[in-house]
Amino acid sequence: MKKLLIRYKRFLTAALLLLTAFLTYALNLREKEHANPVERAVLNVAAPVAGSATTMSGMVGDLWSNYIDLLEVRQENLELRKSVKLLNQRMVANHEALLANERLKGLLDLKTASETPSIAVSVIGEDSSAWFKTLLVDRGSADGLSEGMPVLAAEGVVGRLVKVAPNSSRVLLLTDHASAISAIVQRSRARGIVRGAGGGRCSMEFTVKDEDVKVGDMVISSGVGRVFPKGVPVGEVTMVKKGQYGVFQTIEVKPIVDIGRLEEMLVLVGRDQ
Amino acid sequence: MIAYLKIAGWVFAAYLLQMTLLPRYILDPFQPNLIIILVVYLGLKQPHRFAGFAAFGLGLLQDSFSGIYLGLHAFSYLCIYTLLSGLADRLYTDNRALFVLVVFLATMSSALLNLLMLAIFSISKGVYASLLPALIPQALVNALIASLFFGIRFPLEEPR
Repeated sequence: MKKLLIRYKRFLTAALLLLTAFLTYALNLREKEHANPVERAVLNVAAPVAGSATTMSGMVGDLWSNYIDLLEVRQENLELRKSVKLLNQRMVANHEALLANERLKGLLDLKTASETPSIAVSVIGEDSSAWFKTLLVDRGSADGLSEGMPVLAAEGVVGRLVKVAPNSSRVLLLTDHASAISAIVQRSRARGIVRGAGGGRCSMEFTVKDEDVKVGDMVISSGVGRVFPKGVPVGEVTMVKKGQYGVFQTIEVKPIVDIGRLEEMLVLVGRDQ
Repeated sequence: MIAYLKIAGWVFAAYLLQMTLLPRYILDPFQPNLIIILVVYLGLKQPHRFAGFAAFGLGLLQDSFSGIYLGLHAFSYLCIYTLLSGLADRLYTDNRALFVLVVFLATMSSALLNLLMLAIFSISKGVYASLLPALIPQALVNALIASLFFGIRFPLEEPR
């Protein structure tokens, strides 16, 4: 018998297991809607683990999706930055175009109002020294320019051309010490010579003490010498001093043109030199 | 030949800076004069036989872009170069402080020489009113720039 049991041990174990399984199934058929103790024990043990696993899985899922989102956000951020940069560039360019338009409109008005033929020039360089006041412009003798021609901005007198090269010229500004322009005070018609005084200032010389000149008076070109047309604004009187001695009064004139911000100007080419 | 081209490149860059960028971003008396620094450099540290012509040329180049008197800077720079090249053998020219001090003094001397020349030969009276107030700031700025550029060794310089 023992030999028989040993011989068919595997077969008998399998049959016993199958029978146990069958009996378990058969006995629980009636209680199919209620958990038996085994099921409850298993559920009790498994529930917290399952809960934690689900939470963990959710966390990992969230982490992954956040990571993916982050990658996309980074990419999007880079693209947005590029867009912002591009838009900023366009905004600056638009603003610059607007300003240039205003300046050129003023220059065009001047060109239209002036009967003398003129050529527009742009500033390409400035004087490197602190005591000379000249500008380098982009037109020269090849464009019909020559020394002595008057240079105007939309607001008024800028200076005159000196040292003309084929494709560039230098403009001697009215604030340079070597510059002198015949001028009159618009209100009282007092005559004088506006001479550069450096540091963005000018002085009006040779105006006799008897002449009526006040602070705030507009100084315009007199047309004498036929370099500048008559009546072009030169500057505004900022200081008048009548000393006890001497024949002339001391008059300080602030140029009407903002010399430091000049970009485009007109050269009058048709004046008799 | 390449060495000369390199120096020409430096000079060209200095002129471009002085003509375009510096006047736009730096106020008037505080714009450095890079050319006078080069002239001082030539006088103190450059033993080359053509350095005198170079100093004169640099002055002429500056006159072409500054002021209306061609030869004004050329004369003053040549004077400064001649003086410095005569003194260079007696000075310890590798000293940074000396170089800075000489640039300061050269700026002052050049401006005063220009003033003298203008007072004698031109009719632009009152130029001293612009020149004198700008003199000290410009000399100080030049000295500052000289101290920054002292370490640069030009291709023609002989190792000491």
